[in-house]
Amino acid sequence: MLQVPSETAYLAVVRDLTKKMAEAAGFDAPTALNVALAVDEAASNVIEHAYHGQPGKRFEVRIDDGTEEFRVEVVDAGDMVDPRALPRVDLERYASERRTGGLGVHLMGKIMDSVTFRRTARKNVCCLVKRKA
Amino acid sequence: MSDLTVDTRDVEDIRLLYPRGFINAHTVRVFEHELQRTLQEGRFKVVVDCSGLAYIASAGLGAIMGSIEEIRGNGGDLRLAGLNETVRNIFEILGFNHLYRIFPSEAEAILSFRQGGGSTA
Repeated sequence: MLQVPSETAYLAVVRDLTKKMAEAAGFDAPTALNVALAVDEAASNVIEHAYHGQPGKRFEVRIDDGTEEFRVEVVDAGDMVDPRALPRVDLERYASERRTGGLGVHLMGKIMDSVTFRRTARKNVCCLVKRKA
Repeated sequence: MSDLTVDTRDVEDIRLLYPRGFINAHTVRVFEHELQRTLQEGRFKVVVDCSGLAYIASAGLGAIMGSIEEIRGNGGDLRLAGLNETVRNIFEILGFNHLYRIFPSEAEAILSFRQGGGSTA
């Protein structure tokens, strides 16, 4: 488990750790980098939406290399964020209206086999799962 | 070492951007700054050479989307070149390959401007 300060400067640490762990779990380098990107997006959401860009907070990254799946949980104690409230991704509309919200969640869902969000014990838990072949 | 640097170069009326490293929520301001500077200088033919780009998160994709209307509204276009497999995959996942013209190399992207042609992929 990694405790990460709520500052975007630390996203590189999250990315590098996730990539190395995914590679150690047996994923090839491009897949491991994609998994790292999905976790980067989840961590960015925590900093931007749950903590509203405030420094001095912390969130956790928990990585579990299981037999059948590689699981990453990003856990924060910030405001509850319901990803279902984010707009559906409509690229044409995004281009014309300069809207970019929701792209990250969309990307996470495309990269991972499963992305779930839950609120438990006053914490937000974003769980990202990539199955092993 | 910085996570992202963005060098620029002009070839006639075409502005070339060379992002090197990673574009995410932390580094996107560097990329946005160069895009904005390009538009402020009235340069609307833009090639982003991604050959030095390791990966791009949604923040970077948002920066591109945030500038494209102004670029095309001024008769220009933003074209992409030299995407590695990871970056190309991200663009395809999000359908950006249908919104932007993507070329194997910077030279081909420059040539496409000289030959004219529409902005859509």
